[in-house]
Amino acid sequence: MRIFQSWRYPANWTIFRLDDRLLLILVAIIVGNCSGLASVILNRALMAMFNWFHHLHHYWWIFVLPAIGAALSSLFLEKIVKEGAGHGVPEVIYSVSRYGGLLRFRSSFSRIISSALTIGSGGSAGPEAPVVISGAAIGSNIAKYLSLNDRQRVTLVGCGAAGAISSIFNAPIAGMVFAIEVIIGEWKSVHIVPIAIASVAGTEISRILQGNQIPFSHRLFNISQMDIFACVGLAVLTAAASILLTRLLRSMDKTAKKLPAPLWIRAAIGGCSVGLIGLFLPEVLGKGYHVVQATIEGNFSQGLAIVGLATIAKIVATALTLGWGGSGGIFAPCLVIGSLAGLTYHHGLALLWPSVPWVNQGCFALLGMAGLISGMLQAPLTGIFLIVEITGGYEVILPLIIVSAITTSLCHYIEPAAYYMKELVEYGHLLRPGTDARVLSDLNVSELIEKDCIAVTQNMLLRDFINIVKKSHRNYFPVEDEETGHFMGIIHLDDIRQYLFNPVMYDTVFLSQIMNTRVEVVYPDDDLSDVIRKMDANRLFSMPVVVNNRFIGLISKGNLLDQYRKELMVQTSQSI
Amino acid sequence: MKITIHEVAQCLNLHVSTVERWIRQGRIPIQKTGNGYLFNESALKKWAAMYRLPFLIPEKVKSRGYVETLENLLTAMKRGGVLYNIKGDNVETALKSAVENMAVLSKTSKKELYQLLLERERLTSTGIGKGVAIPHPRDPLSDALKSPVISTCFLEKPIDFGAVDDRPVFVMFILLSQSIKIHLHLLSRFSFCVRDNSFVEFLKTSPDEASFFAKITDFEKQLDRAET
Repeated sequence: MRIFQSWRYPANWTIFRLDDRLLLILVAIIVGNCSGLASVILNRALMAMFNWFHHLHHYWWIFVLPAIGAALSSLFLEKIVKEGAGHGVPEVIYSVSRYGGLLRFRSSFSRIISSALTIGSGGSAGPEAPVVISGAAIGSNIAKYLSLNDRQRVTLVGCGAAGAISSIFNAPIAGMVFAIEVIIGEWKSVHIVPIAIASVAGTEISRILQGNQIPFSHRLFNISQMDIFACVGLAVLTAAASILLTRLLRSMDKTAKKLPAPLWIRAAIGGCSVGLIGLFLPEVLGKGYHVVQATIEGNFSQGLAIVGLATIAKIVATALTLGWGGSGGIFAPCLVIGSLAGLTYHHGLALLWPSVPWVNQGCFALLGMAGLISGMLQAPLTGIFLIVEITGGYEVILPLIIVSAITTSLCHYIEPAAYYMKELVEYGHLLRPGTDARVLSDLNVSELIEKDCIAVTQNMLLRDFINIVKKSHRNYFPVEDEETGHFMGIIHLDDIRQYLFNPVMYDTVFLSQIMNTRVEVVYPDDDLSDVIRKMDANRLFSMPVVVNNRFIGLISKGNLLDQYRKELMVQTSQSI
Repeated sequence: MKITIHEVAQCLNLHVSTVERWIRQGRIPIQKTGNGYLFNESALKKWAAMYRLPFLIPEKVKSRGYVETLENLLTAMKRGGVLYNIKGDNVETALKSAVENMAVLSKTSKKELYQLLLERERLTSTGIGKGVAIPHPRDPLSDALKSPVISTCFLEKPIDFGAVDDRPVFVMFILLSQSIKIHLHLLSRFSFCVRDNSFVEFLKTSPDEASFFAKITDFEKQLDRAET
């Protein structure tokens, strides 16, 4: 019985009484392995589906295939696992900032299945974001099983995301940087160490099962100074492409929501349109890594017009797939669009200045990818490290940094919130650690209530009230109904000071005559930021807290500042 | 010493729900097990110091400021005694003979008190009207009394005290206390008595100790009733 109980509560095992960091590193290995495994599974599933459907490509009806896939994935998400469409990264970020990284167990497989259906059938989307949410959910649930606290759980969610990205791209540094830059948003060694370990674990799993291969290997580039100057132009082009993609995704989403049809029909319409585009430009279908490979190796031989058209077609196809309800991520389409944009730019340069010996087109394709990733995620480091690792091209690091930096700044200028954060920022849900919004969301009204107020009744004489004032510590006195105990109003000493020194009024004035009945009240489950907004708007220093018409305490700015400061100190100091 | 989670909250001057949330979020080195909380007090103090949070144990806070029990008029008056037929033609001589007659004081403190009382009278008269004066030093005596003293001194003949209403003073209440707080407390209670005109009339008859104390007891009861 004892043994059984100890198995049910792993938090009681002595191993977890060890050092906190050691524990996290141990668990990070497990989480990294599991999320790495998840990404390998998705990768294998996609490969298998590609092989099944490959021989069907010459039939005319093939364009309905993406529609079927998208509809099925939408149905699966909506009816079976009951989760929202989309790629899931915002959910992970939101859960990290608001709920200490709590995620549902079903999230660890739902997006894998739905995105396999969407992408495998030809939808234009990426497998990375679904793997990120799966990895994150695995980390979260392992933390839950071990009953770890919120801080540790958040770290493990980051570990899951890092393991997933590392494994799917065979890129440990990119996974690590992505998890810290995008998911957690806080550079602290308590997070970085376990996440680094998880990246290694995730990468190792993928190397064992799939072999150690660089996804997009390339020939050596000879980069001249001219090329570095040319990068600036490319950065502008990729910034334009990423803004176009962001805007198009949002507008498609809005159009789709206006359509009075079930979700799966919308997804099918989107998939169908993608299939139709795919009839003419097969490059846009699926995750499209073969296109990236071809452009980097310089085997993509079409001319400027075709490449430019393909770039726009891919943007439209991605917006159609994801905006209309298909399931998948933005990573892979970004890489494809970026490489095509880079290629377009190269063709354009070659057309304008044919005499200049430009570096070959593969290099520009590679830079374009970095630009698009940085622009969409507004995470320059992730863009830089990802491209360096998946292409194995350290020699392009200089132009890479330039393109990443410029694209990020340009995109930030036009679209202040990154694609992943956009919805969160709109609803005020982006609560990065150490910010005002985060501190206020962590504190709640019931922690700030001061209860040492003396309640008075409305039929009390001023004389009796003065005796109460003598004994009180506060300037506020709630007035309650004698029979029901309901909150009637509040007396603030500042308002009645002049009457206090006038003995004539002592026996003639009842409290109901001098109390303030039009008071703003606070409820215990109110959002603290709203409470402060009310205080500021009405120039109040204190507000009464009321439950079921009964006064339970006072909330004051003085106490708020005290608690706020303590909370900020505890949240922002370095390491624990 | 074993302390509970509630005491931890008190030490940090936080709400218990804040401490519980910090535990859940892993911000404070306390672990939650199935049926309770596990923590090490010294580690907790170290943690609080690291984050520069105040960590005060409530008992210590209390013992630092010694607790003052506020005494009533009656005990102080009994301690000071009632003196009759104090001689004197003016403020100085009246005070001098009154101080000389106070039994509770040592010789040196009598001298000190006399000087302090004169000093105080020089600032403003302590004659509060209706023939009553309450001479008192501005600061407590140097060999601090353990408890407050009020000496009631009925004068042989009324003297000019420079009181607010210019009426001659016929009775003095010398008020000595060990802290300002007790002084104000006794003063406010005493002024409640003097406000009553019948009490002043009663005083003019130079009543004997027993009936005087009985009257004071009455007033004390009234005061206590008003306060509660």
